[in-house]
Amino acid sequence: MTVRLITEGEYDEAMHHALDEVLLSRVDAGEIEPTVRFWYRTGPAVPLGRFQAYEDEVATDYIEAEAIDVIRRITGGGAMFAEPGDIITYSMYLPADMVPRDVRESYEVLDEWVIDGLHRLSFDAFHEPLNDISHEDGKIGGSAQLRADDAVLHHTTMSYSVDIARMLKALRIGKEKVSDKAVKSAEKRVARITDYVPDSRDAVIDSLIEALDAEYGTTTGTFEQETLDRAEELAESKFQTDDWNKRL
Amino acid sequence: MQATESVKVPDGKLVRVAVTYDDEIDDVAITGDFFLQPPEALADLEAAIEGHSADVEAATLVEAIEQVEAELIGFDAFDLAQVTVEAVE
Repeated sequence: MTVRLITEGEYDEAMHHALDEVLLSRVDAGEIEPTVRFWYRTGPAVPLGRFQAYEDEVATDYIEAEAIDVIRRITGGGAMFAEPGDIITYSMYLPADMVPRDVRESYEVLDEWVIDGLHRLSFDAFHEPLNDISHEDGKIGGSAQLRADDAVLHHTTMSYSVDIARMLKALRIGKEKVSDKAVKSAEKRVARITDYVPDSRDAVIDSLIEALDAEYGTTTGTFEQETLDRAEELAESKFQTDDWNKRL
Repeated sequence: MQATESVKVPDGKLVRVAVTYDDEIDDVAITGDFFLQPPEALADLEAAIEGHSADVEAATLVEAIEQVEAELIGFDAFDLAQVTVEAVE
């Protein structure tokens, strides 16, 4: 089955997460085709994992001083630091029958086109279970999923050229008192695409799109007005509120 | 009393429990970078632990946690039970 590819629109972090929820629900309801979209951000943000405690993950003073949006995702997993142009994020919204039922297998299968897209740039990326995309020197990015009854959201954030110093100021990585193993894991080196290949961010995205097209076949689409309207409403009622973002 | 304990599950995710307890475990908050399907089951996992004696055995908690209809991804019932027991010790 082909997927509809959407590469338009620059939105703030809350709107992106609202789009995720609305597009998943619309694919789940059979209202729209399988869809893949790349994100274009308007400002710095920390997408927080659904089950993470706000205070444990972000350095609140820095976040406030730098006007960084902290938005809780609808998916589990860990916090990331994202700035426009520094990060590549995409979301897939697929009917359940396009995705292996086994969670572990599904992360691997849904990462295949991305690994292919990076290989096309001679970048040696590989899938690392459960949900990481890695280079031998470290972690490039991670995926997270949410399953609705009849659809799956799979979204991934990869580090194109993330400012690691700024990331470490925004996130409380390794600053908590946790087991040695956890600290070691948190400090596991972040690898960036720009450390290894000269291609521009747009060129990397183009290569990913070629690989996506080779894997699924793509048609180019745009957001329906109803999707945008519903997402705007949800951004305001949920993703811009402390009630959601600071609930844990 | 209140206590917090974390575990980074080998080849899995970080799970942290914050418990309020006296003779019984009164309140539990589970956080971390794990996955859970459906996500709404988080409250059910917490409720499965609450109400148990503070000197509960991990095996008893495992049984209670396994009653919850949810898929735990990046951790399992034993990890959650074990970290809870460590928190109240």
